[in-house]
Amino acid sequence: MTVHAANPELVERISAARARKKTSRTLLAIVVLVLVAISVETTIVADTDWERMGSLGDVLQNAAKFFAVDWSLFPNLIGPALETIMVATLGTLLGVIVCVPATWFGALNITPFKPVTYPVARLMMTLSRSIHEIVWALFFVAAVGLGALAGVLAIAMRSVGFIAKMSAEAIEDLDPKPVEAIRAVGGSEFQVFIYAILPQVLPVIIGVVIFEWEINIRRSSILGLVGAGGLGLVFFRQMNTFNYAGVTSVIVAILILILFGEIVSHFTRKAVT
Amino acid sequence: MLTGPMLTASPRIPASTMEWRRFKYPQSLYRYFGLLAALTFICYSVVYLNIPLERFIGLFGRVGDLLANRYFPPDMDYIADPDYLASVLDTIKMGYLGALFGMLLAIPLAWFGSWNVSPSRRFLYPVARFLTMSTRAVHETIWAILFVTVLGYGMLAGVLALTMFCIGFAGKLFAVEIEAINMGPVEAMRATGANELQVFAYGVFPQVRVAFTGIGIYTWDVAFRAATVVGFFGAGGMGWYLKRNVLEIETHRVAAIMVSIIALVLVSEGVSAWARVRVAKAK
Repeated sequence: MTVHAANPELVERISAARARKKTSRTLLAIVVLVLVAISVETTIVADTDWERMGSLGDVLQNAAKFFAVDWSLFPNLIGPALETIMVATLGTLLGVIVCVPATWFGALNITPFKPVTYPVARLMMTLSRSIHEIVWALFFVAAVGLGALAGVLAIAMRSVGFIAKMSAEAIEDLDPKPVEAIRAVGGSEFQVFIYAILPQVLPVIIGVVIFEWEINIRRSSILGLVGAGGLGLVFFRQMNTFNYAGVTSVIVAILILILFGEIVSHFTRKAVT
Repeated sequence: MLTGPMLTASPRIPASTMEWRRFKYPQSLYRYFGLLAALTFICYSVVYLNIPLERFIGLFGRVGDLLANRYFPPDMDYIADPDYLASVLDTIKMGYLGALFGMLLAIPLAWFGSWNVSPSRRFLYPVARFLTMSTRAVHETIWAILFVTVLGYGMLAGVLALTMFCIGFAGKLFAVEIEAINMGPVEAMRATGANELQVFAYGVFPQVRVAFTGIGIYTWDVAFRAATVVGFFGAGGMGWYLKRNVLEIETHRVAAIMVSIIALVLVSEGVSAWARVRVAKAK
């Protein structure tokens, strides 16, 4: 009351701004809801074969086939699981090698020729991240044939973007003081790199690489679906032979693998940084 | 303070210990062993997977040849086809719905699965953590195959697969945000006798709202990328066109589809970056 009396203009302005904000929020909510309604109608209602799906009971019966684990399959899963981890590891490693030039070109403060190399590197990073691993794998299976090599290349290409982007950002955030200090005591360019730049960026980059390795295990677990080896191939075979309990065992194996990757990545990152 | 005699009186340090090392004896040994183990594993995996290292020489040349001879030029007429464009629109809708449903389910899971505000640390916390972990661990294509098997071909399976994927993806990021909140308002509300739901709605949610919006936009972006391929396994959208042309070895059409995917992802990335900047500014 007293505030209003003291400064009516200000109060007016604030309440007008609040009202405007409220209308725009309501409008946004309506737009979102309408979009949801349209999408649900055209995708879910119109595109689903409700007759084939049958009643809820049929669906549950269909789903129930997956609620059994074929334990006898597990000994046969150890090899493919190892393969999956290896594809992820080699893919990450190759990705790190490929991302050295991408990082060099993509960090604003060290890029050799800014108007050309910087946009090229940024485009490479975006391309690498925007193409799904399945598409990369399809391409490399066509290029080098079926097998683990295609998977390794696909994983490498898919991880370049993320690693290069994070590393370039780490290099851009470099603290220049140690560089100057090493220069001031007469260090060569190589010594500057070894003692001033590397200690600053290496923990960040190693952390990023381990994180990406963890994600790559998840990715490499499905590359077998398009012919690149690992657990995905077993999944595909179990599915095609309608052994639904076996499908569940492969999924359980993938879960164990991811959990293992998460634990390893947690402790290694702790040890490194 | 320091006088001449004091300085000269200090014991001589042997030259060998004067050299500076970042890691002292036991730690350095662990490090070298860790490195050695990693290298051994890498070498062993090259052997185990039968990776033909000699094929890396000239790999770029061969891939370039392949691109130039078989994939170039992309068959642009094919992707201008109205049916294909309709499937692109379906893909966008699928990604949108999947991200939205996934996030709606991820918010309660993130609430239950963050240690500091979880209503029940003994029961709900592990369940929520397990659910977010397992939905994230299973790849979206596997979800798509499972839902296609149970529900039949079509976009319903795709939307549900993307929903599962987004639950795990957004749930983890949401939980990280919730665990980093300021506990002051939460304790203040508990002290006044608010129940758990009220604490979440008025003590936790206002603190993470902006971060959640940013994560939500990012989730939508990632869901769209995933939506381009779930159709590969029969779950609707443009992935089906991709599969058909890959199987028919219509490489020029495959190239055109890849070009369209890249263009769409670049657009969606631009939109999501713009929206995230807007949200961060509106904070």
